[in-house]
Amino acid sequence: MHDGRFDPGGFYEFNLNGGMIRTRNGERVVVLSEDVLSSLVAAAARDGDLTPLRRLGELLGEQALASLDRPASVLSAEAVLGHVSAVTALFGWGRAGFERWGSALVVALRDKPELDEDELGAAALLGGMFSEISQRQVSCVPTGDSKFIMVDFEVAETVWGWFKDGADLPAIIGMLEAKRAS
Amino acid sequence: MTDREDRLRSLLDKVRAKRPGERETHAAEAVDRLRTGSGTLAASASAVPLSDPPTSPQMESPTRYSSQPPTVERPLSVEPRARSAAPPSQPALAASPSQRPAAIRPQSVAPTGQPVVYATEQPEFPRPKTFGELLELTLSLRPR
Repeated sequence: MHDGRFDPGGFYEFNLNGGMIRTRNGERVVVLSEDVLSSLVAAAARDGDLTPLRRLGELLGEQALASLDRPASVLSAEAVLGHVSAVTALFGWGRAGFERWGSALVVALRDKPELDEDELGAAALLGGMFSEISQRQVSCVPTGDSKFIMVDFEVAETVWGWFKDGADLPAIIGMLEAKRAS
Repeated sequence: MTDREDRLRSLLDKVRAKRPGERETHAAEAVDRLRTGSGTLAASASAVPLSDPPTSPQMESPTRYSSQPPTVERPLSVEPRARSAAPPSQPALAASPSQRPAAIRPQSVAPTGQPVVYATEQPEFPRPKTFGELLELTLSLRPR
């Protein structure tokens, strides 16, 4: 709340005697180095199970959602982005931003940790985060250059295939637009 | 008693002795005249009158009456009374066209109780989409 802006003050509670770190919502968090995390994410991506990262993204989404005074659906994109970027920054996941490409909403995550080559770890994290914020099943599909297109959960596999086949973001948007216009 | 007093007393006695007789004489003469109808009252007016006969046209009263009306110093009817003859139900000013009041014209329009309708409407600017609307758009995308 706090005048519509995210208040980072007191977000973490350090219990040095107990050896614990908790967020202000009471969730316990662990500080990991980027190298360790990237190894874990790479292994999960190879196994095809990015559920832990999606779950981490849901936890970040809960943090952002708790700071909103109204449902995110009625707020402006700028207001939601302010809370999202604050949470991602507090957890060390880089700077979040929104881009509109036609009818598509694209999330840009700058200066994120280098976890895996295909950026599937960050995609899982963002997917979990925006699913929690919007209370809908949202998938964020990597499209290169730290940009992730937000699509329905059912079409995520198809869009990911286009990207793997070499389609860049404008091409993907064009294929989606063409499909929606018909 | 002095001489002067003697003279005065004697004079008084003479008067007392003389006047009663004269009175009786004059009274008897007057009664006789009335009885006989002769003589005139005017002739005896110098004497003390007994009564004044009201119907006698020859009698002259010492108080003079006039049959003419008294002098009128103010007219009995005046102009204001003549103008005030209008019926009381009629307005006094209505009887005088020269003093008729000016027509009452409204100086302001009373409110009609209807709401004020503004002539202009709010210009329609493209409203920025909310996060929910943007999310709905992007989630509606389908591959061809």
